[in-house]
Amino acid sequence: MGVELILRLTAVELLLRPMGPWGVRPLILAAAGLALLSPRTLSSSLTWYALTGLVTARIVADWPLPDNHIYLLTYWCLALALSLGATDPVRTLATSARLLIGTAFLMAVIWKALLSPDYLDGRFFRVTWLTDPRFTDAVQLLGGMSAAQLTDNRENLAPLPEGAEPLNHVAPSDPPAFRYLVLMSTWGVLILEAMVAFAFLFPAGARAGPFHHLSLLLFCGVTYAIAPVAGFGWLLLTMGVALCRADQRALRAAYVVTWFLVLFYSEIPWANLMVSWLT
Amino acid sequence: MTHLSSVSNGSDSTPARRIAGHWRTIIPTALLLGVAATQMVLVKVADLSPWKGGGFGMFATTDGTAFRYVRLFVDAPERSEELNITESLEFDAVRAQLFPSRRFLTRLGEAAGARERRHGREAATVRVEVWRVEFSDQPLRATGRRLRSLTIPIVRQPQAN
Repeated sequence: MGVELILRLTAVELLLRPMGPWGVRPLILAAAGLALLSPRTLSSSLTWYALTGLVTARIVADWPLPDNHIYLLTYWCLALALSLGATDPVRTLATSARLLIGTAFLMAVIWKALLSPDYLDGRFFRVTWLTDPRFTDAVQLLGGMSAAQLTDNRENLAPLPEGAEPLNHVAPSDPPAFRYLVLMSTWGVLILEAMVAFAFLFPAGARAGPFHHLSLLLFCGVTYAIAPVAGFGWLLLTMGVALCRADQRALRAAYVVTWFLVLFYSEIPWANLMVSWLT
Repeated sequence: MTHLSSVSNGSDSTPARRIAGHWRTIIPTALLLGVAATQMVLVKVADLSPWKGGGFGMFATTDGTAFRYVRLFVDAPERSEELNITESLEFDAVRAQLFPSRRFLTRLGEAAGARERRHGREAATVRVEVWRVEFSDQPLRATGRRLRSLTIPIVRQPQAN
């Protein structure tokens, strides 16, 4: 049941977010659809090797446009194919899931804490909250900023040519709630990601404890309420299911519920509804 | 073709089985690390956007798609002007702005030149510029900085009889 559920969730994700150029997209959809309809196709390693090849072809065809979770999806399809050929698929898959999650989060932490020049000082979230239209509702709801303030701030952040100085520069307004939002998001995301990376990479081994599950569920439940990358959330939660032992039914159910929560986050503009309701 | 037929009790009794189990888990992670290391190098030496390339640098820096842009300038006798990025050029433009390699810049410049010719307009060269918006901290202010620029000669295609 455990492996079958993991395979099904991965196939559903491939169907929910069609990807790639026209030469690849129908093949991915057909393979994922067939896997859902036929148990034999679903549990065949050949299906997952084929999907690994197709998702890789998508990455190559569109490079460098694909998002990072498409790369992770490729590694995951490969891990599924390799695990299905192993003597102990459940254990092999659990170890792969653990290593992939831990390494991906470690890379994310390295970028934020060491390589990026504008993350730790809060610039990244300050600029992103102010300028990215996908976060307009969240900024109004959590950052105490009105729609008019947001528009003014966006205009004030229009780029100048290199070397130019504005005659009358107006700095973007920073209500206290917005400053708090920037601080919390900058450090909250970094700490959560570091927690997941640490939990999943140390100590090594296939068994996952409560800290693994708690950190991953917390990360997905919080992050994907705001971040518009449901595909990444589904993938991480599917890997989380792979970490559950056969007797951990409640935990597996928690991952599936969070999987659907991420689906609802992506399809229901909850922040917009709350802003409308509050105003 | 292998099918999932059984779930073992998890005991790896022989060293051969242990090794077999390990290589199956190591390969995907090794691929992830290899791609991520390559991405880091490309970011540092070739201006690849940290958000892209499989290095998991998304949501870490403002240097993403939203804060990079491309400018195209066409030159010909009696003509020198900036071009709009039209829908037909969009894919090549996004590609060039995220990874401004000589190959992608050339492809975009040639596509823009060919488009001008198709519309009966002269084009001797197309200059492709990739810009990035940088943000200073105090006060928060945006400045455009040119990352790369390349001028591409547009070769006239022979007329078919």
